[in-house]
Amino acid sequence: MIREVAAEIVDALKEAGVDFVASLTEANLHDLVVALGEDSAIHHVPVTREEEGIGICAGAYLGGKKPAMVMMNAGFLLSANALATVCIHPGIPVLMLIGHSGGVGEENAGHATVGALTEPVLQAMHIVYEKVGRVEDIRPSIRDSQTLARSSRRPTAIVLNKQALR
Amino acid sequence: MKRYDCLKAIAPHFGEELVVTNIGAVRHEWQALRPHPGNYHLQNLGLTSSMALGLALALPHRKIVAFDGDGSLLLNLGSLATIANQQPKNLIHIVFDNECYESSRGAPTATAGQADLAAVARGCGIANVVTPKTLGDFEAEFLRALKGNDLCFILAKVEPGAGDVPAAALDSQENKYSFVRYVEKSENLKILTATLSRASDVRGK
Repeated sequence: MIREVAAEIVDALKEAGVDFVASLTEANLHDLVVALGEDSAIHHVPVTREEEGIGICAGAYLGGKKPAMVMMNAGFLLSANALATVCIHPGIPVLMLIGHSGGVGEENAGHATVGALTEPVLQAMHIVYEKVGRVEDIRPSIRDSQTLARSSRRPTAIVLNKQALR
Repeated sequence: MKRYDCLKAIAPHFGEELVVTNIGAVRHEWQALRPHPGNYHLQNLGLTSSMALGLALALPHRKIVAFDGDGSLLLNLGSLATIANQQPKNLIHIVFDNECYESSRGAPTATAGQADLAAVARGCGIANVVTPKTLGDFEAEFLRALKGNDLCFILAKVEPGAGDVPAAALDSQENKYSFVRYVEKSENLKILTATLSRASDVRGK
C-alpha cells in the first residue's frame, strides 16, 4: 500500500465517523497501520490476534465509540466465531476493512485457498460486503458500509483487493 | 475459596461500575447478586477481557470490571499483552481460576498443570498483579483496585463449584439494549439513535 492510499483510507474512516480502530498488520496493510497509529483523532489498538480485535471493537461500541477493524482475510476467517457470538448475535456493528490475499492479482500460491474462502464465508455469515479494487471507490464504500453497520447493528465489510491497496 | 463467595464479598461495593461477565455460571451468580443494567453478560468464551478493554478505552473515566475465567483467558492470552500496552487505568481484570472447564463438565485446564496466569500477566507487562488467597484478601485487593486509579489484574484461585442461584433470564439482545441504554443515559451519549443516511444527504445536495 502506498502512503497516499493509506492517508485516503484514514481520512475516509474519519469522515464516516470512525474514531476507534483495532488492527493486525500485514505487508499490504503496513502503511495503513502506521498512519492509524499517527492519527490523533483515532484511538488505535494494535492487537495480537484478530478475534481479540473484534471483542475490543464490540466493547468500544458499547462505550459509545464508532469502531472499525483492519485485518487481512486470514484474520477474518479466524474471527468467524467472535463475529457470530459477540457481534451478530446481540446486534453490535463493526466496520471491517479486510485485505484480500489470494484474490485477483495474487502472485503467492499459498494464499489461494484463504482467498477463495473469504467471500463464501462472508456470505454464509450474512455479512454485507463490498469489493473494492480502485482507490477512488474506497471513500464512498467506507461511508456507505459504516452507515449500514450503524443502522443495521451488524458487522459490515469492505474487501480490499491488491489493486486497491497498491 | 469459592467464586460465589468472592462475588458475594465484593457485590455490596458496586455502584455505577460497568461489568463484563464471562460465559458460564459466573453470569448467573453475578446477576443474582447484582441485578443491574451495567452488567454485560458475554456469550463467548475468550473475549471477556477484550470486551472490557474496549469499554475501558471508550469510557476512560468509568471503572470497568471483568469477571474472567481461566479457560476463557487461556483462549485469548494475547489480550494480556494488548491490555498491558494500552494500560487502561480504569480496568480491573479479575480471573477466577478454578483450573477446569467447569461449565463443560470439568476437564482440567492448563492452569491445573504448569501454566500460571499471574506470571503471564506480569510477563506481558501488567505491573499491578495480585493473587489473594483468602476471601478477606480478595475483598481487600478488590477494594484497593476499586479506589485506586491503576490497571489491576486479580488472579483468584478458587475451588470448582457454582453458587446456588437461579438461572438468570439473560437474552443477549435484551442485555445489549438495556446495557447500551444505561450507558447512553449515564454518560449522556447517543449510541443507538438512528442517524440520517449520509448517502441520502449527498443525494439531497
